[in-house]
Amino acid sequence: MADILSETVLPEDLKKFEKIYHQQLYKNDVTPKAQFEYAWCLVRSKYPADIQKGIVLLEELYKTHEEGQRDYLYYLAIGNARLKAYTTALKYVRSFLILEPGNQQVLSLEQNIKKKLEKEGIVGILTAGGVVLAVGAIVGVGMAIAKAK
Amino acid sequence: MDEDILTTLKILIIGESGVGKSSLLLRFTDDNFDPEQTLTIGVDFKTKKLSVDGNNVKLAIWDTAGQERFRTLTPSYYRDAQGAILVFDVSSYSTFAKLETWLNELDTYSTKNNIVKMIVGNKIDVDNREVTREQAMAFARRHQTLYIEASAKTKHGVQSAFEELVHKIIQTPGLWESYNSDNIHVNGNKNHADQSGCASYCSLT
Ligand SMILES: Nc1nc2c(ncn2[C@@H]2O[C@H](COP(=O)(O)OP(=O)(O)O)[C@@H](O)[C@H]2O)c(=O)[nH]1
Ligand SMILES: [Mg+2]
Repeated sequence: MADILSETVLPEDLKKFEKIYHQQLYKNDVTPKAQFEYAWCLVRSKYPADIQKGIVLLEELYKTHEEGQRDYLYYLAIGNARLKAYTTALKYVRSFLILEPGNQQVLSLEQNIKKKLEKEGIVGILTAGGVVLAVGAIVGVGMAIAKAK
Repeated sequence: MDEDILTTLKILIIGESGVGKSSLLLRFTDDNFDPEQTLTIGVDFKTKKLSVDGNNVKLAIWDTAGQERFRTLTPSYYRDAQGAILVFDVSSYSTFAKLETWLNELDTYSTKNNIVKMIVGNKIDVDNREVTREQAMAFARRHQTLYIEASAKTKHGVQSAFEELVHKIIQTPGLWESYNSDNIHVNGNKNHADQSGCASYCSLT
């Protein structure tokens, strides 16, 4: 059963809000609402490239539109978690919890992400920027084993 | 463990912002109440196992924000839901008056036409009631929904609201399917073409 991190957007919804956003972009008049709705769809896409695009739109909103900051932080955490960038996701969760320490919804998202991080630990490390190091370590271990034989 | 779970049911909670949707859910899942419950962002999700009439079911509950700025996107979460809880605040007539709109939205966007609906009049612990039980019951009867009065604060009615809803869903033929043991359809699902309804437990037949 789909949960908050695995649930995905319907392609027709994504298209619909993409169209609205692009129409406004064409007129050089993008409202925060249209940008947020499009980003909300993007971060729930099956495709990492879409999620990445959604994150960029949300980061921009976060910097320019104060009113919706808690919404942007929340979906930035979700988008990053869906990309398995758990460390970044947890960074956004923490920024949120500084503003609203007791927020149930965000606390349970935090737990959710931590559980994933535990389960897929190595992936988390890989996407957190330690790619070379981690791969190097694995290769190193492999070579050590090979040598020992 | 999952083996003795008869089915997973998708339940929605909708209604105006501030009526106590998230509080009802928190009371139900964690037996807790937060007087400073914060505004839900977009859509939240919780699961809970429940035993009704000797059947263990898992509930996947989607709690929606109700705020205007999320309204364009929340209906996309309605798909495949088997049950919907429509909440109003008994101390606020306007939240009751809005139920009609919420029912219409549900009819427009829910994909199962026999989805079970329940209206919950919340905050019955407060003194200044603006909607009587009779008014609410008449409305529920007219729209063929269940009705329960509750208080997330005192617990009153919360557990029975979910139990009654699940009881009614299980009794509704074709609304759900079992993924128990050998893929036998306990309840012959008529929505077979509905692909998304069987993401994780599709029968081989
Ligand atoms: N007195 C009382 N207050 C409640 C009850 N349920 C919720 N509240 C309060 O009403 C406010 C809004 O509740 P919330 O659950 O966030 O509403 P939502 O927007 O529908 O999710 C919060 O301050 C809650 O503490 C209740 O049964 N009785
Ligand atoms: Mg809420």
